Amino acid sequence: MEEIMARTLSFGVNGVNGYPVHVEVFGINGIPGMEIIGLPGASVRESRDRVNAAIINSGKQMPPRRITINLAPADMKKEGPSFDLPIAVGILIANREIIPDPALVTDRIALFGELSLDGHVQPIKGTLPMVISAKENGIRDVILPVDNAKEVACIEGLNVMPVSHLSEVIAFFEGSETIEKQQQISFDSLKNDIHVTTDMAQIKGQKGARRAIEVAAAGGHNMLMIGVPGSGKTMLARCLPGILPPLSFDEALETTRIHSISGKLPSNSGLMVMRPFCAPHHNASVASLIGGGQDASPGEVSLAHNGVLFLDELPEFSRGALEALRQPLEDGFVSVARVKKQAMYQSSFMLIAAMNPCPCGFYGSTRKVCRCTPQEIRRYLDRISGPLLDRIDLQIEVDSVPVQEINTSAPAECSAQVALRVNAARMIQLDRYRGTGKHCNAQLSNSEVKQYCTPNPQAMRLMNAAVETMHLSMRAYQRILKTARTIADLDHADTIGSSHIAEAIQYRELDQKYWR
Amino acid sequence: MTAEPSNFVYHAWLSSASLPPKVISVLLEEYETPENIWHDFTSLQNSLEKISPSGLKTLKQNISKEWLDKTELLLRHHKISAFTITDQAYPDSLLHLQDPPAILFYQGDLQCIAKKNLAIVGSRAASYDGQKAAERIACDLSHNGIGVISGMAGGIDTASHTGCLNGGSQTIAVTGCGLDTVYPSMNTKLRDRILENGGLLLSEYAPGEKPVGWHFPFRNRIITGLARALIIIEAKIRSGTMTSVQHALDQGKDIFVYPGDPISPYFEGNHQLLREGAIYFTTANDIMEDLGWLDNPGIIGQNSGCSGRSFPLSPEEAAVFSALKPGKLNFEHIAEKSRLSPALLMSTLTMLQIKGLIEALPGKQYQLIETDI
Repeated sequence: MEEIMARTLSFGVNGVNGYPVHVEVFGINGIPGMEIIGLPGASVRESRDRVNAAIINSGKQMPPRRITINLAPADMKKEGPSFDLPIAVGILIANREIIPDPALVTDRIALFGELSLDGHVQPIKGTLPMVISAKENGIRDVILPVDNAKEVACIEGLNVMPVSHLSEVIAFFEGSETIEKQQQISFDSLKNDIHVTTDMAQIKGQKGARRAIEVAAAGGHNMLMIGVPGSGKTMLARCLPGILPPLSFDEALETTRIHSISGKLPSNSGLMVMRPFCAPHHNASVASLIGGGQDASPGEVSLAHNGVLFLDELPEFSRGALEALRQPLEDGFVSVARVKKQAMYQSSFMLIAAMNPCPCGFYGSTRKVCRCTPQEIRRYLDRISGPLLDRIDLQIEVDSVPVQEINTSAPAECSAQVALRVNAARMIQLDRYRGTGKHCNAQLSNSEVKQYCTPNPQAMRLMNAAVETMHLSMRAYQRILKTARTIADLDHADTIGSSHIAEAIQYRELDQKYWR
Repeated sequence: MTAEPSNFVYHAWLSSASLPPKVISVLLEEYETPENIWHDFTSLQNSLEKISPSGLKTLKQNISKEWLDKTELLLRHHKISAFTITDQAYPDSLLHLQDPPAILFYQGDLQCIAKKNLAIVGSRAASYDGQKAAERIACDLSHNGIGVISGMAGGIDTASHTGCLNGGSQTIAVTGCGLDTVYPSMNTKLRDRILENGGLLLSEYAPGEKPVGWHFPFRNRIITGLARALIIIEAKIRSGTMTSVQHALDQGKDIFVYPGDPISPYFEGNHQLLREGAIYFTTANDIMEDLGWLDNPGIIGQNSGCSGRSFPLSPEEAAVFSALKPGKLNFEHIAEKSRLSPALLMSTLTMLQIKGLIEALPGKQYQLIETDI
């Protein structure tokens, strides 16, 4: 018996980007066995046993040889079970269990998939970035698990072949059967399936907070809600994805990529069209928020990319976790560095935070006595540092709604209606910032605030009067101008008028009441 | 006051053992000054059966040169002076107490004690309304030349001292720890302001004594003792404020109680006291009238820093203004009453705030600023 050799193609993921991995199979006489080299992780090494069983259960033979499998490039750490399928196909071709159809170029077909012992092809993580990389490398044909097919169905110019069992792949390579192509799905058609889970119509009362959240959505502003427990802060935040404009195609690709490599996409789902809403619990570690772990996987800030990061009970988060938010808030990305891996993840999100006014939660409540001493309240509020607050444009107070009002009040406006106004305001901003790389008011730097957010003279006088009588800081001044710009956009006004400034000042109330 | 400061170290030594004031008073009557006691201490300690063993032990320990030097440094550094119950400077009003303090340490001007003074007390964890009321009343009293005595704790105490300072009179703070410590520490600025304005800080605790829980209700007898009458701004039913009430009753002082919001739990104690016959008042004027101090000319009821209505009101502003007339309301209710859209209401509220007609309260509530009385 002579040596045998075959080569198949797959892709790996580094950060959010895919890269080609050549799976080389080499068999030689000796004690039968299989060795995988090329920095395989534990799950890749275990692939040996899965592949073995899957081949036998597909009615083929394992070659009685000593097999070496090399995953090239050999200096990149490979993780995950997605190499099962290319390894299995490689072994079968090398052993001539499959005589490939001469019309096929076997190492120009990208293969992804985890194998179960009975030969079924299981869904994998990271399909989207890997397939995009395949397209960039000039590969047209892609065989992948049926559950991951929809995820890449929006990408044009590819021949995506979903499979559910190893035997289908074998038949395809032998040329005896073809695999039905995945139909292309247009991105716009996905938008029809949007369904809003928490609708604004469910919120009773809270007129002030509803308006604030509309302004925040319209300008992409970060927002802090302070209120007694049970005042509806969480529910308000959950309404946001429903009133934000749907993701654009590019945004959807960015966000879906990150969710894809984290394995957070539900199986059989397409590109994400709704903006993500991430609500990590307040005991979250820095690594889980920012990203980290052995393989530098993305954290919550990146999963919330182009969407909403909701931090409930803000002061309960560890100081380190809160301070770590500053870089992504400022730059829109995080770089995660670990010993074995470095990765950069996009993380441009709207921060929505909620907190109680004091440790017991009832400071300022009309219904219950606050048990906290002034020092306790001070200490509680001081857990949120100035630099973090500095990045939050809107600060509002949310009061609880009396029970009788919940039962009696008329149904409120639904999310779809609010979304229309938000969308219109966003359009105005897109037009204004075309070519600057910015797309909403919240992203303006201080110098750009000067350029784009100049109020008319009357509004300017009002602003100065407010600074004087309400003791507003310079920091608050900039934030107010930005927010006023958004309010003017909601109003379809070209210049910022007095009423816009006056309304914006209300969203800085906490500067005066709590954080003097 | 003019005595050589180094003498006060013996005052500190004598109070360092936390002996009951009565025991110290007996000793002082016999030996006149703490210094004499110190000099004769070794010869007389066997005959002092009144002093508890632990007290004797502390006194013996502290008799060392090191302790005296250290304490003298503290006294000098903080400019703390002292007087005893046998001194001329000792205020008569305190002599009538059941348990008069034997030694008092002070910073600032002792003359304050001789002026017209009223005590204002209330919760440390006070409501916004309570603090505003305390500040306003203290300010108005102060305008009329009446000093305010309080405990320099947080909440109502702080508001009362601040009000008094704003009104221009001197204020007296009786603390529950040595005068080298400011408790709570966030009141350091307030302490400095009190002294800068010619006020007085008093304590029966020697420098170096920490703020211990039982000190506070105990020192309340000095606050009420020095005052002509006691003013309660905000009290819960079981609270330190109620010990002040007890002291005032024992000392036969008038008790004025501010009627807070009857449904607010912050003012439960106030209403109980009013039912039990305390004197009802709403303004500084009421108090002065009841005490017969009204012949004193002065500006009455003027709150510092409030501006008149110098701007005309727009229709929206007028709607919000009239919605708020009956009392404070939260945003939702104002929106309902004024029938303005949330966006318009937000900007209207800001305009009214800038014009100084309304103020924002915690809990998204707003109220009119009182402009006249």
